[in-house]
Amino acid sequence: MAQIEFRNVSKYFGSNKVIENLNLTIEDGKFTVLVGSSGCGKTTLLRMIAGIGPATSGQVLMNGKDISEVAPGKRDIAMVFQNYAIYPTMTVRENIEFGLKNRKVPKEERNRLIDEYSRIVDMYNLLSRKPSQLSGGQRQRIALARAMVKKPAVFLMDEPLSNLDAKLRASMRIELKELHQKLKTTFVYVTHDQVEAMSMADIIVLMEKGEIQQVGTPEEIYHEPANVFAAQFIGTPPMNIIDMPNGYKMGYRPESVVFTAEKPAGDGYRKKGRIVTREMLGAETQYKVELSSGQAVMVKIADSRFREKQDVWITVEPEHLHYFDLSGVHYSHGGAPELLAEVVGGMNDV
Amino acid sequence: MSKDKTPSYVHQNKGSLGKRVTNAVTSWLMVLPAVAFLIAFVVYPAVNMAIMSLFYSNATKPYKKFIGLDNYNTLFFVKKDFYNALGNTAYYTAGALVSIIVFSVLLAQWMFRSRKLNNVAQTVFFTPHLVAGVSAGFIWSWLLSSQSYGLFNTVLTSLGLPAVRWLDDSSTAMISIIMMNTWKNIGYYALIILSSMKSIPTEIYEAARLDNASSFKIFFRITLPMISPQLFLLLITITTGSFKVFDSVRIMTNGGPGDSTRVLSMYIYDYAFQRNNTLGYACSAGMIMMIIMIVLTVFDFAFVEKKVHYQ
Ligand SMILES: Nc1ncnc2c1ncn2[C@@H]1O[C@H](COP(=O)(O)OP(=O)(O)OP(=O)(O)O)[C@@H](O)[C@H]1O
Ligand SMILES: [Mg+2]
Repeated sequence: MAQIEFRNVSKYFGSNKVIENLNLTIEDGKFTVLVGSSGCGKTTLLRMIAGIGPATSGQVLMNGKDISEVAPGKRDIAMVFQNYAIYPTMTVRENIEFGLKNRKVPKEERNRLIDEYSRIVDMYNLLSRKPSQLSGGQRQRIALARAMVKKPAVFLMDEPLSNLDAKLRASMRIELKELHQKLKTTFVYVTHDQVEAMSMADIIVLMEKGEIQQVGTPEEIYHEPANVFAAQFIGTPPMNIIDMPNGYKMGYRPESVVFTAEKPAGDGYRKKGRIVTREMLGAETQYKVELSSGQAVMVKIADSRFREKQDVWITVEPEHLHYFDLSGVHYSHGGAPELLAEVVGGMNDV
Repeated sequence: MSKDKTPSYVHQNKGSLGKRVTNAVTSWLMVLPAVAFLIAFVVYPAVNMAIMSLFYSNATKPYKKFIGLDNYNTLFFVKKDFYNALGNTAYYTAGALVSIIVFSVLLAQWMFRSRKLNNVAQTVFFTPHLVAGVSAGFIWSWLLSSQSYGLFNTVLTSLGLPAVRWLDDSSTAMISIIMMNTWKNIGYYALIILSSMKSIPTEIYEAARLDNASSFKIFFRITLPMISPQLFLLLITITTGSFKVFDSVRIMTNGGPGDSTRVLSMYIYDYAFQRNNTLGYACSAGMIMMIIMIVLTVFDFAFVEKKVHYQ
């Protein structure tokens, strides 16, 4: 059981300020996913928790206690490294066994654990191989087994599935979720794949340039993005963002658009446009529509009858409209009659 | 698209006869300089030595009288001093090998740890490697001298310890020579070890720390196996190099006291150039020395190399 807290944590590499005054609490027993673009500081945060890349200033606490003085091996933490970091000179078995031996786990227990976890990651037949004789995905699976077998209080996973094929990745995701449900320990999982983040997380921590943009459940982040960045990071395709005459921004999800061939009745957000591209995805179809203002927006709906170069009308009901203020922070969702009036008055096509 | 899925390079050797001949000629031309040197300076002298070892001879008349294997008979069954030289050489080689490897690895590990000292230490320890062997031998003869100016003994006596007769005592003479050669070589070998230590990814060490491994265990389970290719290189070069040791022994003890530091190369030198009509005999000793070195190297490659971890 472990709750982790960052208090005013900063990390500098020389003069390069990677993280400044970050505050974050990672809840005990939750599957927390750190998501953000490349270089935003995800690995840096994990390394602070593990104790192998200490913060320049600030505190990292585990269950309320400062752990800066605790050696990495005594923290009850296991980490899957982004580049696996498996021991090249040891066989698969020795790799998995190394941490157990150092913790003085008895021999029969070790063998039983190695057996169990090498089967979970489907590496049982390759236990006597050396890492140089394995593929990237197989190495990644050893790294996973090596971490899981230790049954730590905190799992740190740095993009642990990035090198697996789609099928194996899907099954490992389920495996990890089940493991989490079984162990009920704290998982901190790094990815830059937002689909993975949405599907696996209890809590998503969205980061950009060393700053936390939003912390919330997948539903919260999807429905109530805290700012333009969050709105555009989550969702495929991301939220459409449109500049308003007063400098505010308006946004709506491609999924909340209603498409018609004729001009729809009523008021609200109504725009005329022309379909530029059309992608049939199966249950849904994705269209790129160029509005009369010249801006392109994405639309994702079940209806696949529309064709390229066709003129269409876009309708978005007020409850699906988001507004962001001058600094990009979420201002209102659905409400804001004064802004809606501006949309209707100043922005609609006729 | 062609049905043939085999990549085109597989067919390279099936080209026309002319092309194949051109290929062969080019390859041979490229290795020719190296082969020429090898023949002129290694193969030819070795063959010559083998032939001369069958003769009773001196430097002016290298083929004075053919005596078959008589020289070898004398070497193995008549004289006893060859075994003494061989034993001394083995002692020196084993001592130098262990001492140089252990101290180079320790030095490298130390320089690897403390980055600031690293540059200074590298220079300090590397400098002896640049000193000519003869000069280094002289310097150490003075340092180890039993006379009043010998630094080692001055330090020992000032600490209240008994003086040691380093080079003048048959039990410490060889050890002194090993010390000198360790001092002279560790800077160079530590550099090789250090660069291979630096190529080990740091994440592996971090993973080991998370796996609760002690520094001791990290060194023996991770560092050592990771630098084993370089250790193997050291094993080969130090073994063959030490087996041929000559200049430092010649300067520091000249084989003495008694014959306690007379190594093989000095033995051969003595019989070849210091005595009358024993050039052929020296050649037979040279042959044996060459064969032992070949056997040692083959042994290293056949058995020790299996333990080496290659990426
Ligand atoms: N050892 C280091 N020295 C200097 N800068 C570093 C070092 N490690 C990381 N950085 C910098 O810190 C920033 C954050 O790096 P980090 O590895 O945490 O990114 P990340 O979010 O894990 O990215 P990715 O998704 O690509 O793995 C980057 O800009 C990187 O250049
Ligand atoms: Mg990373």
